[in-house]
Parts: sequence; C-alpha cells; structure tokens
Amino acid sequence: MTEADRETTLDRKLLELLVCPLTKGPLIYDQEKSELISKKARLAYPVRDGIPIMLPSEARAIEE
Amino acid sequence: MNQQRTGAQGGMETSFGFQDVGDGEKQTRVNDVFHRVAKRYDVMNDLMSGGLHRVWKDSMIAWLSPSRTANWKVLDVAGGTGDVAFKIVEASNRNAHATVLDINGSMLGVGRDRAAKKGLTENTEFVEANAEELPFESNRFDAYTIAFGIRNVPHIDRALAEAYRVLKPGGRFLCLEFSEVELPVLDKLYDAWSFNAIPKIGKAVTGDADSYQYLVESIRKFPRQSDFADMIRNAGFERVSWRNFTGGIAALHSGWKL
Repeated sequence: MTEADRETTLDRKLLELLVCPLTKGPLIYDQEKSELISKKARLAYPVRDGIPIMLPSEARAIEE
Repeated sequence: MNQQRTGAQGGMETSFGFQDVGDGEKQTRVNDVFHRVAKRYDVMNDLMSGGLHRVWKDSMIAWLSPSRTANWKVLDVAGGTGDVAFKIVEASNRNAHATVLDINGSMLGVGRDRAAKKGLTENTEFVEANAEELPFESNRFDAYTIAFGIRNVPHIDRALAEAYRVLKPGGRFLCLEFSEVELPVLDKLYDAWSFNAIPKIGKAVTGDADSYQYLVESIRKFPRQSDFADMIRNAGFERVSWRNFTGGIAALHSGWKL
C-alpha cells in the first residue's frame, strides 16, 4: 500500500472492529465518499486522513 | 466556584474545574482546552508531574504486562498522542495491537504522525470517538487503558460501563489518573505547586494560563482513590485495586471483567 492509499482507505482490520456508537450496529464503508454508514441510525460518519470520526455530532444525516 | 472533591456518586459531569457547568456543557469546554494544548501535551504532562508521568506510565505498562502473543488487543482511550499505546506495543515485542481512541482530532493527528515515525502503523490505529459511546462491539479487547483521561470525561459512569462492555471476559481495565495526595506535607507542597506554579509556567510556555488552570482544578475535583474504586466496582468490575505513585499524586486503578 502506498502512502497515498493509506491516506484515503480505511484499514481493513479497523473497519472490522467498528460499529455505530449509537446503535452498536454494523457499518458500511463508502470509499468514494469516505464515509461509514449506519443504516439504523441514518448517519454517515466521515473518515478523514484515514481516521474514522465516530461522533454523531460530526456525522451527516442520511435522507430517506 | 466549588472546590470540593467529587465522590463516588458523581459530580464530575457538571464540573469544569472548580466551575459548575450545565450537563452537556463540559465536553465542549474540555475539547477547547485540548485543541489548544495538543501540540504541547507531553510538555504539559511533564510540567504537571515534574516529569514523573513517564515513570508512572512505565509502571502502568509493567502492571499490565501485555501478552506477547499475536492478536492481543488493547484499547487505549483518551490516548491521542499515542505514548501509552506505543509503550504497550513495544513491551509486547511489537506483537500487540493497539487501538488509540480520542475525542480530539488534534491529539490523534499528533499520535498518528508519531506512529509513522516509529514504524508502528501496522500495530496501531486511530479512532476519533467518545469514551461514553464506544464504536466497538462487545467483548472485543483484552485490555482497556486510560491515562490522565478519565477526569476529562463528563459522565465517568458511562465511560466505565462502556469499558466493561467492550472488554472480553477475563479482560483488564487499567486507569492512571492524578489523585489525592495521602502524605502530609507533600499534599501542601503539591497544592502550592499546582495552584501557584503550574498556571504561570503554562502561560510562559504556551501563552495559555486558563487551560492549565482547568487542568489543576480538574485534578482536585476528581474522586479520591477509594471513591473511584467504588465507581469501577459499580460498573461491574471485580478484584478492583489501586496503587499510589509518589504519595498519591497519581494512582493506578485496576479491575477485571470476570
């Protein structure tokens, strides 16, 4: 993996470990938007510089 | 202004240092402090502890004695700059896997850069999240560590419940925090140092006295050793014990999820 890839992709081991902090349910990684999506909470958590930001206050609300 | 130490029944959630704040307000105020001091955080700990925080953290790692088997996982909470996580990984002969969690992106940025410099990116990962709402499934970690972080968490009971939840059965909880000095004379000296010297030195070094004022006040508000042990027990942990460092300037609490 190049340094540039590391900047944009989320470590697979880390992805496996993460759940939605609110629902503790699974997350779907949208690599293009660099977001982790919790369907149950209807929130998209941003991933910035490879660091997932698992704070509901920082997440984007997903429309129906 | 309320300078009384809080007890096992709570009170830290509405204390920003000696100031009483509304429930929900503390986190924002704490965030501001750590955004301001992130780059100087280790210098700050050196100032507040006279350099002893490094020795205490080494003792914490020794008590933890991380497994050298692969797949041993530790969650280091409020560990943004990574120093505890790096020590754990090194102590495991680079076999352990550390997840560093912090609510503050500025602190995590410092930690991630350091991990790259140390060649530890394979063993460490960084997550921005709240200790009261962990983004992990239950029963995932072999150990949970938090050093000089828990007094900045508004709802300590929620953080402890989350620690218990994410630990595997048999998992270990270790918390290092400034505590109540239990030696006469030293307590007076330490108070004088904390309240007179530290904010001034903080201002001289960083130009920011208020952050340091918060930090010394929050140390004084945090529950004493026996009360904090009760809080850990209330979260479900067993075999709860603690060790004082340097007469109680800091204390290391331990508990097991059995």
